[in-house]
Amino acid sequence: MSQGIIKSGRTWRSLLLTVTLGTLAASAGAAPSTLENMQAAYNGESNAHARYLAFAQKADSEGYGQVASLFRAAARAEEIHAGNHAAVIRQMGGTPEAKIEAPQVGTTRENLQAAIKGETYERDTMYPTFLSQARKDRNREAIKSLNYAKTAEAEHAKLYSAALESLDSLKGSQATAYYVCPNCGFTTAELNFAKCPSCFTPKEKFEKVS
Amino acid sequence: MYHIPPIPTWDALHPLVIHFPIVLLLLSPVFIFLGALLKEPIGGSYRIAGLILLLLGTISLFVATSTGEAAADLADRGGGVNAVLSAHENMAGYTRMFFAGLSAILLGMVLLPKLLKHEETRFSTTFMHMAFLILYSVGILFLVNTAHAGGRLVHEYGVHALLPADNSSAADAGSKSPVTSAEMDEQP
Repeated sequence: MSQGIIKSGRTWRSLLLTVTLGTLAASAGAAPSTLENMQAAYNGESNAHARYLAFAQKADSEGYGQVASLFRAAARAEEIHAGNHAAVIRQMGGTPEAKIEAPQVGTTRENLQAAIKGETYERDTMYPTFLSQARKDRNREAIKSLNYAKTAEAEHAKLYSAALESLDSLKGSQATAYYVCPNCGFTTAELNFAKCPSCFTPKEKFEKVS
Repeated sequence: MYHIPPIPTWDALHPLVIHFPIVLLLLSPVFIFLGALLKEPIGGSYRIAGLILLLLGTISLFVATSTGEAAADLADRGGGVNAVLSAHENMAGYTRMFFAGLSAILLGMVLLPKLLKHEETRFSTTFMHMAFLILYSVGILFLVNTAHAGGRLVHEYGVHALLPADNSSAADAGSKSPVTSAEMDEQP
């Protein structure tokens, strides 16, 4: 009887060890889930929102009114992305959580360079990876939200690059109007279309940010 | 081996539905043309058949644009996709509006004489319908351009609708994960 109990105990221990090792092996090589990706995206967008508002203040203080407007428009877009991501997270049963870090503010030139780097990473690496996982999971709402953000980040990178190229001529510029799609965060300097190129929201609904 | 495929979601219906307006709206003018040439009462029957095809085609156009907008939200973006997608959507909107107008006109041309009990004349059965077909050719131009942009999205940029998972054994035999346009770009 006692031998039986000992044998049974060994079997359970070996089974427990196998399960533990298996779980560890699986988790070591497993890609993050769509929910984890959405949390990361939500955190990124929330921080970008805070960072761009700080960059806008700096641009204003340095006399780059137009660049400040661009940062404020992009901040609004990031806020919209964060809101969209949060809705998906809630739909998936999670709670959106963001750890807002104090933004590192440099000169406006440095801030633009940092912004371009961040947007390029999101456009080329982060969102394509997240989208790939969401497609595997066939999570429609996540794909939609990530798609919107990816398209808008690509536009932000273009707008920031253009501003950086002509930064010297923007010294002393006044606040300028930018337009942000309230649905997907698509940002543009000119409303030269009838509907949002990303989500087809009518241009009349775009928010003016300056 | 044979099974009932999973029921598509609204956005996944787009690749199925888009073929209806193309076929129906290209077939309708053939019937209207024959109806304008043939003598009564056969001509009248052809014109009514043309009207029915136009109405069905226009209804399917509304479904196609609605499913298309849902599918666009999930489309793999990047490269030239956004510009073509935007053009496709814009043209689809114009096409829908134009064919809605054509449907109203033909409905009036076919039904009003019957309702008002006006006697059909050669002018109303042939010449008016021929003039209508000239107007219809503009709609065809919208339609084929919209279809062409859609074809470019699929065959040039590899944009796919997100189909529901098919877990049947028949699907497993030839299954592979969906390839996105980004992944296609990476392939040699």
